[in-house]
Amino acid sequence: MADVSIPLAMKQPDAKPCQLHPQSMCPAFGSLRVLTRIEGSHPVMATDTGCLYGLTFVTHFYGARKSILAPQLGTAELMAGEIVEGTRAAIEVAAREPGCQLIPVVSLCVAETAGLPEEMLPKRVGEAEVVLVRVPAYAIHSHPEAKDVALAALLRRLADAQSERQKKRLLLLGEVFPADPLAIDNLLRRMGVEQTITLPGRAIADLRLARSVGALAPLHPFYKETAALFRSWDIPVVGGAPVGVSGTYAWLKAVGALLDLNAKLVDEVVEEERERAQAVLQAQPLHGRILVTGYEGTELAYARLLVEAGAEVPYVSTSIAQDPLVLPDELWLRARGTQEVVYRKSLEEDVAALDKYEPDMVLGTTPFCSVAKERGIPAMYFTNQLASRPFFLSGGLAATLGFMNQTMGRSARYQWIQSFFDETEVADASA
Amino acid sequence: MPAPKLIRDLSDTSSYWAAVWTMCTMPDVHVICDAPIGCFNLVATAVPDYTDAIPHIENITPSIITEQEVGSSGTAASVQRTYENLRDTGLLDGKNLIVVSTAESEMIGSDLTDLVTRLQPGARFFHSESLTEDEWTGRDRVLHWLWQEYGRAQAAGIAPESGLVNIIGPTYGCFNSAADLHEVRRLIEGAGGRINLVFPLQARLADVPQLAKASLNVVMYKEFGHTLAQALGQPWLHAPMGMRGTTEFVQKLGQLLGTGAQAAAFIRREKETTLQAVWDLWKGPQGDWFPTTNLGIVATRTYVDGLQAYLGDELGMPIVFAASRPLRPGELDNEGVRQLLHRQAPAFVFGSINEKIYLSEAGARYTNFVPAAFPGPIVRRAVGTPFMGYRGCVYVLQEIVNRLYEVLFNFLPVDAAYAQARSAGGAPTAPLSTRAGALPWQAEAKKLLDQALEELPFIPRISASREIQMQVEALAHQRELTEVTAELVTAVLAARAS
Repeated sequence: MADVSIPLAMKQPDAKPCQLHPQSMCPAFGSLRVLTRIEGSHPVMATDTGCLYGLTFVTHFYGARKSILAPQLGTAELMAGEIVEGTRAAIEVAAREPGCQLIPVVSLCVAETAGLPEEMLPKRVGEAEVVLVRVPAYAIHSHPEAKDVALAALLRRLADAQSERQKKRLLLLGEVFPADPLAIDNLLRRMGVEQTITLPGRAIADLRLARSVGALAPLHPFYKETAALFRSWDIPVVGGAPVGVSGTYAWLKAVGALLDLNAKLVDEVVEEERERAQAVLQAQPLHGRILVTGYEGTELAYARLLVEAGAEVPYVSTSIAQDPLVLPDELWLRARGTQEVVYRKSLEEDVAALDKYEPDMVLGTTPFCSVAKERGIPAMYFTNQLASRPFFLSGGLAATLGFMNQTMGRSARYQWIQSFFDETEVADASA
Repeated sequence: MPAPKLIRDLSDTSSYWAAVWTMCTMPDVHVICDAPIGCFNLVATAVPDYTDAIPHIENITPSIITEQEVGSSGTAASVQRTYENLRDTGLLDGKNLIVVSTAESEMIGSDLTDLVTRLQPGARFFHSESLTEDEWTGRDRVLHWLWQEYGRAQAAGIAPESGLVNIIGPTYGCFNSAADLHEVRRLIEGAGGRINLVFPLQARLADVPQLAKASLNVVMYKEFGHTLAQALGQPWLHAPMGMRGTTEFVQKLGQLLGTGAQAAAFIRREKETTLQAVWDLWKGPQGDWFPTTNLGIVATRTYVDGLQAYLGDELGMPIVFAASRPLRPGELDNEGVRQLLHRQAPAFVFGSINEKIYLSEAGARYTNFVPAAFPGPIVRRAVGTPFMGYRGCVYVLQEIVNRLYEVLFNFLPVDAAYAQARSAGGAPTAPLSTRAGALPWQAEAKKLLDQALEELPFIPRISASREIQMQVEALAHQRELTEVTAELVTAVLAARAS
């Protein structure tokens, strides 16, 4: 057996590197992002202080300017079994906030480990619905998936079962750039759609209306639990998303068929949009090799758009797990030259891809982008830079391609700054 | 049973964070945090991105606690596996391994003391007490622990050398530490001292025994570091704020280091140079504003005491409230600060993002918010923005005066026609009525106006007074009234508040 002790990882270039540093924002953050942005929502967090500090920090950076309440949960309270009392007291205080209609109780690792029984919490206090959202980071694994958990919890409680079904009303699912739903709504109305609702959003009224729609269209592929909920309500789900030329074409057609819209009208609008998108591709094609390595769960769709525009995307990685909702994009990418699609990725895998593919640009997490910049490669933090511009339909295509081309055009600057600091390191070493 | 204790917008993180932010400053340390993915991401990437402006802390790896570890198996196997992977990829070469517990690993009772000592020679387990202690107690305990574990025994033969000074305290997650450290170092050198070790921020773990070489220790913060200073057995001082505090600090340094004459000369020279700015601002028109420039402070005890002494006692600015974090008995907690700011906000609030949020909720647009504490995303890596020392006196005062200029600018009238042109896409046909004072005011109406102005910080009052009068009278004209009524004033004030 002596010969098998050779470290195989060193010999096989395709072997997976050790997954030492998984890349995801704290999974629970996804839920806070969704829950704090709702007007009239005052979350209570059941957790330890370290967790509370970190999550409120990122929530106050990325979520909302919203005060957050929590019961003190230290050794003393945990030993005395006071989680429920503390949480109930925090709920009482939250209910007194002006305009409070919703109190999401966000139960995190420590509270979940100790146990926070739902039946011990009130369902309603004054005007406010109390909704328990269980998002222990040890079980959720990625922050996009926590958005799904939070939204599904809200819908189970708030979606009005009595609301009348409007066959030509469509629910768009996904946190997107604010101009995107307007553009989509505008186009769909021309196809005969009467109304669109976008979730997660800022209005509780939209949550209540969720069961009135004719179909659900998840714009992002990680709303697994939410999509299952709609299916259980007999609301059909549109596959794909209006991304790029082919993606948009297929999606608009699918919406038309599912909502039973006038086929001729749909074809007209779809053709027009296809022409616009193709004109965008012709006007600003991409050249070069790009790695798409965020942790938002939308990476495959972005990669697809880039490939359609002419870029080479050999490697895509994301924090979410493989799922039937992502599969069409994965197959599409693999058929067009993408060699690796990595789910639940780690920093080590991304860095190995950087070594292997030597890209012209990187869209990634902050640790990975800094590694790329240390090599003089243009790199952008996926979360901040892509969420802040339109993405869908021809307008989103134009905005995204413009941004990519500009960034790749700055390659010399990335190299200059890299070599500038490289020189100081050389000087330090010689001194 | 006493009422459960609630937290509104936590100000201080846990001792687990303290351990990471203290130990990981040293490049020859590698930390395995016994943590779920979130506790790793937040402490090592998401928050230091925005507090210390570093893309990520590189010398920390999580054991990745999942349902399996929580449910049954415990974390020993994950820590073991993480260690082996790190070792095999060479990441532990030349490093000292420290395994740190987290709230979650403590929750499931994972004590890895024995396992860790078996991993590799010198590896240690640090029980962070994260369910009990806050970051300040934590930092204090970690610094002392590092000395006990990695310094004391090896330092047995090291004798203190006269004139050498340690600076104890700068770690990740300490607001403004780059600039304050730079200034404290300058003061020590100005007084005749030589810097031995800046611990831990500019040290290696291998340097810890060298702490014994200093004959004097300066502890940067009142929150932590004193236990280590005490253990080192040499005289120690806290870093200073304010003109008096800094002068006493430099004098004391001179006395302890035997460089009294040099320290006195330094103080004299500073008064003629650095501090001249404070003297000039005091003599100039700016100083006249100080008695009416009121402020509130929420920050670490170090900053609260320092700003209160300097801006309040020395320069005479009214301090409306001052509350330190961690909270001292009798001080306002965040709930109290929030209620106070919602009622009436002072001209300046020094604080964290929490106070900034309360000001947003209150719509307090006449209040200047000055970042002075974490939490909150802010870059403070420039060395020219200290709050401590003589340069801190100049920087803080300059900041206040410049913000007062900004307030004044924003209240100077600008022709309303431009706003109209922007919104209507063309110039208005006739100028708006700007004739405040043209209509008689009923006594009750005037009283309401005066009350509203009383609520505002002092400087904006004049301009706000004119602005409100114009709005009220415009409304009166619109309703074709010949006299201003209380009802009109109420309507305008309500519209301004929303």
